[in-house]
Amino acid sequence: MSVPSVDVAKERLKTLLLADRMQCTPETAEKFSADIYHTISKYLEINPKDFNIQITHTDIHIKITGEKH
Amino acid sequence: MGEVIVITSGKGGVGKTTTTANIGIGLAQLGKKIIVIDTDLGLRNLDVVMGLENRIVYNLVDVIEGSCRLKQALIKDKRFPELYLLPSAQTRDKTAVSPEQMRKLIADLKDEFDYILLDCPAGIEQGFENAVAGADRAIIVTTPEVSAIRDADRIIGLLEIHGIKKNDLIINRLRIDMVKHGDMMSVEDVTEILAIHLLGVIPDDEHVVIATNQGEPIVGTDCMAGQAYSNVCRRILGEEVPAMDFGKTEGFLARFSSLFKRN
Repeated sequence: MSVPSVDVAKERLKTLLLADRMQCTPETAEKFSADIYHTISKYLEINPKDFNIQITHTDIHIKITGEKH
Repeated sequence: MGEVIVITSGKGGVGKTTTTANIGIGLAQLGKKIIVIDTDLGLRNLDVVMGLENRIVYNLVDVIEGSCRLKQALIKDKRFPELYLLPSAQTRDKTAVSPEQMRKLIADLKDEFDYILLDCPAGIEQGFENAVAGADRAIIVTTPEVSAIRDADRIIGLLEIHGIKKNDLIINRLRIDMVKHGDMMSVEDVTEILAIHLLGVIPDDEHVVIATNQGEPIVGTDCMAGQAYSNVCRRILGEEVPAMDFGKTEGFLARFSSLFKRN
């Protein structure tokens, strides 16, 4: 079976909202996200799939999940 | 002093009008004095959903232009103790009313009613500006779809700009079977993305279509959507109501017997 459609929806939505909230194109938003990831990865060991940026109207949340300890 | 709640969504067709009607009716059933106002100029709908379309004489624009007194335009829904509708105008457009005029109208109503519910038109243009002008708080209706959630997010931003800080979310038409199969965003997915307080979840329920066909309320009936709307109303009044468990939907036997009940 392929990827559940809900995962595709969430991914598309997150990119769209990031772009809407930053008032830029989805490509710029993705570049922004990639640059932040790149910067953080210089200091911390992180994995793209555990990394998530969320910009609300008032804050930027950077969430890094995955293996701890 | 009454509280003014605007029901909005950005995207059309997600259930704003049905939600406005059923919250209005539900709060009236709980003993509150309610007025629901249709602010969608040119596309009058709330009266039809409530089954009051044959009783309209005057409308919102008539009141604002002074063609009639406010009291003359209010339609009393006789099925409930204290529920009134101020219908919209079908033959006028958004420019017939200004945000300033809406603010004044609402100020006149605030002393008389416990809750003033404003059914907002789709979009973010003047109709939206008019609807939010006098509002104290907002209920944002969305469905678990990418386009509806995107528009809801935009609306939340605009409400903040208008100084409306108390924003609650209703997720409409959730299909738990699709969520379980990974084909629809879950309540948690939506609330995590939008990051606002969840007021309630209305399951996708064919009884809503049937009730709307008949111009009857769904709130107060014992179907899933009816119970969900009742819970929303009690939460608006400040009661702590636990989330519904949609998992245990009607079993085979219950479904079988409801086939006979309908006639």
